[in-house]
Amino acid sequence: MKLKKVLGIALATTVLLGVTACSSSEPAKTGNSDAAGGDVNGDGEIIIGYIAKNTTDPQPSTINSSASEQLDKLKADGVIDDWTGIMDGLSDANKQVDLAQDCIAQGCDYVIITPAEAVASDPAITNLVDAGVKVVVVNAKTDSTDDVAMTFCGSDDVYAGELMAEYLNEKLPDGGKYLHCQGVIGNSAQIQRAEGITNKLNDNFECIAEVPCEWSGEKAVNATHDALAQYGKDLTAVICDNDDMSAAAQLTCNESGREDIICIGVDGNAGAMGMIQEGTLDATVLQDSIGQITAAIDAIVADINGETVEKEYLVPFVIVTAENVDEYATE
Amino acid sequence: MAENYILECSGISKTFGGTQALKEVELHIRPGEVHALLGENGAGKSTLMKCIIGLYKPDKGAMTWCQKPYQAHGPVDAINQGISMIHQELNPEPHLTIAESIFLKRESTRGFLLDKKAQNKRAEEVLKKFNFPYGPKTLMKDLTLAQVQMIEIIKAVSCDAKLIIMDEPTSSLDSEETRHLFQTINDLKSKGVAIIYISHRMEEIFEICDRVSVFRDGTYVSSRDMEGVTKDELISMMVGRNIENVFPKTDCKIGKPVFRVEHLCGKGFTDISFEVRQGEILGISGLVGSGRSETVRAIFGLDPIISGKMYLDGEEIKIKNPQDAIRRGICMVNEDRKEFGLCLQRSIRENISLPNLPKKQRGLLLRQKKERQECEDAAKTLTVKCASIEHTALSLSGGNQQKVVLAKWIMANPKVLILDEPTRGVDVGAKSDIHALMCKFAAKGMAVIMISSELPEVMGMSDRILIYHEGRLNGSIDRSEIITGNTTQEEILKREFGGK
Amino acid sequence: MASNEKKILGVKEDTFRMMMGKYGIGIILIGMVIVISIIKPRFIQPSNLLNILTQISINGLIAYGMCLAITTGGIDLTVGAQLALVSCILGQLVGEMGMNIGLACLIGLLATTAFGLLNGILIAKFNMFPFVVTLSTQLIVRGIAQVISDGQAVSLANANFKAIYSDRFAGIPLPIIYLAVVVIIMYILMHWTKFGRYVYAVGGNVNAAIASGVNVVKTKTLCYTIVGLLSGMAGIIFTSKTGAAQSNIGVGYETDAIAACVLGGTSFAGGISTASGVLLGSIIIGCIYNGMNFLGIDSYYQSMAKGIIIICAVLLDMVMNRKNR
Repeated sequence: MKLKKVLGIALATTVLLGVTACSSSEPAKTGNSDAAGGDVNGDGEIIIGYIAKNTTDPQPSTINSSASEQLDKLKADGVIDDWTGIMDGLSDANKQVDLAQDCIAQGCDYVIITPAEAVASDPAITNLVDAGVKVVVVNAKTDSTDDVAMTFCGSDDVYAGELMAEYLNEKLPDGGKYLHCQGVIGNSAQIQRAEGITNKLNDNFECIAEVPCEWSGEKAVNATHDALAQYGKDLTAVICDNDDMSAAAQLTCNESGREDIICIGVDGNAGAMGMIQEGTLDATVLQDSIGQITAAIDAIVADINGETVEKEYLVPFVIVTAENVDEYATE
Repeated sequence: MAENYILECSGISKTFGGTQALKEVELHIRPGEVHALLGENGAGKSTLMKCIIGLYKPDKGAMTWCQKPYQAHGPVDAINQGISMIHQELNPEPHLTIAESIFLKRESTRGFLLDKKAQNKRAEEVLKKFNFPYGPKTLMKDLTLAQVQMIEIIKAVSCDAKLIIMDEPTSSLDSEETRHLFQTINDLKSKGVAIIYISHRMEEIFEICDRVSVFRDGTYVSSRDMEGVTKDELISMMVGRNIENVFPKTDCKIGKPVFRVEHLCGKGFTDISFEVRQGEILGISGLVGSGRSETVRAIFGLDPIISGKMYLDGEEIKIKNPQDAIRRGICMVNEDRKEFGLCLQRSIRENISLPNLPKKQRGLLLRQKKERQECEDAAKTLTVKCASIEHTALSLSGGNQQKVVLAKWIMANPKVLILDEPTRGVDVGAKSDIHALMCKFAAKGMAVIMISSELPEVMGMSDRILIYHEGRLNGSIDRSEIITGNTTQEEILKREFGGK
Repeated sequence: MASNEKKILGVKEDTFRMMMGKYGIGIILIGMVIVISIIKPRFIQPSNLLNILTQISINGLIAYGMCLAITTGGIDLTVGAQLALVSCILGQLVGEMGMNIGLACLIGLLATTAFGLLNGILIAKFNMFPFVVTLSTQLIVRGIAQVISDGQAVSLANANFKAIYSDRFAGIPLPIIYLAVVVIIMYILMHWTKFGRYVYAVGGNVNAAIASGVNVVKTKTLCYTIVGLLSGMAGIIFTSKTGAAQSNIGVGYETDAIAACVLGGTSFAGGISTASGVLLGSIIIGCIYNGMNFLGIDSYYQSMAKGIIIICAVLLDMVMNRKNR
């Protein structure tokens, strides 16, 4: 009984302390936002927060490992005092909003974030900005990125969709039936890439199905099998929202003796690039992930040094085919 | 020692909590004999058998098997040493094939893989030996109970058992199937397999057994050759004692009839009619499985009633579930305390007040202070020995758990209180406490129905006794006849065994 | 009896076990807070503590529902999908049609409660396995959310709507207030009402509950209905927090809720749980997420650490309660 009471009191006091101290500590945060030398919140340290989209998918992982390398180097060189390590957003906007709060609590001056969602991750960014943190958005925009973020380093997903469509228009002037393997429904990349495809794809193409494959190659294989079984010769192309799916779809077509089907996706993963080098895959739309994160970190360094920073660094998508693959396939 | 026994148990004792289940009992089995084990419910037969197959470890005593000291570490070990038991309640794995069932836990293997082909072949051979009508790939669920039992026997034989224990093997067989079983037993006998045969059915024992050992109240009475012994002799050996006035039965005023059933039929009982009055303790006696518990379960709404009528205070009532029964003032203490009586993980207080919560609310909230007080009072009245009523029911001894179950129903203040085996697994002290409480309830005007497998308890506590035999009533006896000695335990037992 | 009693830290072994069994989880929490605070003093800052409490509000609400389901001996896997459903309903009603926010929330809650009721009826009345039932309804609910939203994310930038999450009352963020209210109501429900007792009885020993006149069907159905209501509330907070309505949210949210229950001493065998335990469990989960980020622990290891902490907590619980099992 006694212990229960003690515990209860301990909890109650922490909550109470929190309330009183919180209201008093708030103004301190916004006060020194123009302090020189990158110490945005004026606590004597420069700390960079890093909120990842997730740590499991190939493309975010590429960004994460490059970021980790570059930030460790900045810390070693003494440009920044510390960074938070990779905080995993678990592809969940709700988690990213929480992580943004954690960054504020840890006294971050800059936060790099790769949003999980265009709309739902937005509060993470606005909360950070409201707390006086400078935010660099990488890879995909959220709704208010243009208004509040210090800078955006990314690529335009609509353009990626358009590149895919144009490639197909060129290779298959007669059009035909195509299958669309979608990413996670509602994800901004999925929505925008689809928009790009419809923008540019010729009218003689007919979409037989849009299958939600959740970025997963395994699900794309199933969808491709189904389409092959149902439409056979009529199937001319498989458009995928990423490379995991297009590579898997192409392998499925090849196994069924349909090397003629063109499978195309976005990202430029090592796997897809390798297949293009071998000649098994026709093309991919390369998203220069490392270019994006490098631009983001460069922007922060520039801000710390007091240089001006652009609102937006667009790292272009490139269509990669057998002709130019060796140029981009590094490592 | 001159005789050549295959199994000798001497001086075996076993205590559970405060109850002594076995007191220095003896059992000597010769090779190739069919040895009957006879005794009332709770005489210690099952406990001894469980000691033999290693489910229990005896506290005292020695066993030898084939002239060597013996102690099994569980049924599997016992089987390996040559002793198999066929339980009364068979639990076949319904989705196994016959072959899989026979060779369960000793499968034919090739490397890590099962060798089904070899196993089925081996099974087919043994099945043929017993003229079993089905092949090894038949599923167990497609067999009748008798056939499942047969498979158990085949399994035992295929393990090279030299002793097979059969607990009530004919309880679920019809006469044709019983005949077949006896034939098998004779075959086994001729092959030198010894059999311990536990049964309540006298006729069978006379027909098939060579010798008999009688147990009573956890003690060994004696062993006899079946030749030259009579049924009456056996029964008096089983009973053997006088009913002393150890029961605190007080005569209280028996009032008007409260509860009556007419031609009640359900699963396990047929055409049951009786009536119970205010202040009366109605005892129900019968062998295990004779339909006693089934009847009261149906009355309390736990099992469906197929036909018949029930009257409470002269009015016909329908009871579909225990809620109906409780609402009308019929409460029941179940024979299986752990399964139907208590939520063992919850506190004594919560258990006592569970059926009485609707009466303990103010608005939507419980009046916990009042509840605690009332439960404490109830626990005190019923002499529950506990440090605090906030402790879990699990922390109590069996007797005190039973008192908690009683407490919850007493708090409900029922008109009819049904007690199914109220003193089972309860130590001596708590037993007499419970008996005293029963009288107290009756004195308050409750009608008490008590089922017990202990004849002395039924005879000592009841104002009237109903005797069940195979799902039907086989007579009723008044207390006066017992007190005057006109009806003895032997006569009740005879009726339980179907006699008139 | 008295001769072989051991003493631990000056108290009788039995008493020690009972104390640890009951309060062990609180001690783990305090230990965790102390360790993290020593390494990173910023962690114990009041603003961060408030931050943790705000963050656990969604999981806390779901965990209380889950706790009821687990206490009856079942489980509810629909909670994540229920978040998506309420989110999409709000997206359509508030985002697209501009309906009154209160009314829209009410409709959303009605929908999730109705699915909770459906779960309850299937489980209690038709005696289906809770795992199977909720695994299936979860698919249905998410499907409906996808149909409603047409797979599209709807922005709910409406300031009034976002205020549901971001406003403060007397300096305390609203989500903490919601959580506090739910904790109090659930505490009363679980420990001060007939219904609560019935829940424990049904979970503890369903046969004994039946034989004691408990209406098992009604009790279980009500439990799952409450799970639906609570996950609906969590969904509203979630949607307001992210300012977006979409159908892909809440995937895997049952895991954290189950973890919070288990940490809080809820037994999967049913019949054992406490309202305070679930709160402590949720706070521990919150501290794991937040604390590990403070310590800069790599996210791969965070996931492992979470698993290890849960196993250790349950192990501790079992060791301490060994005598009672």
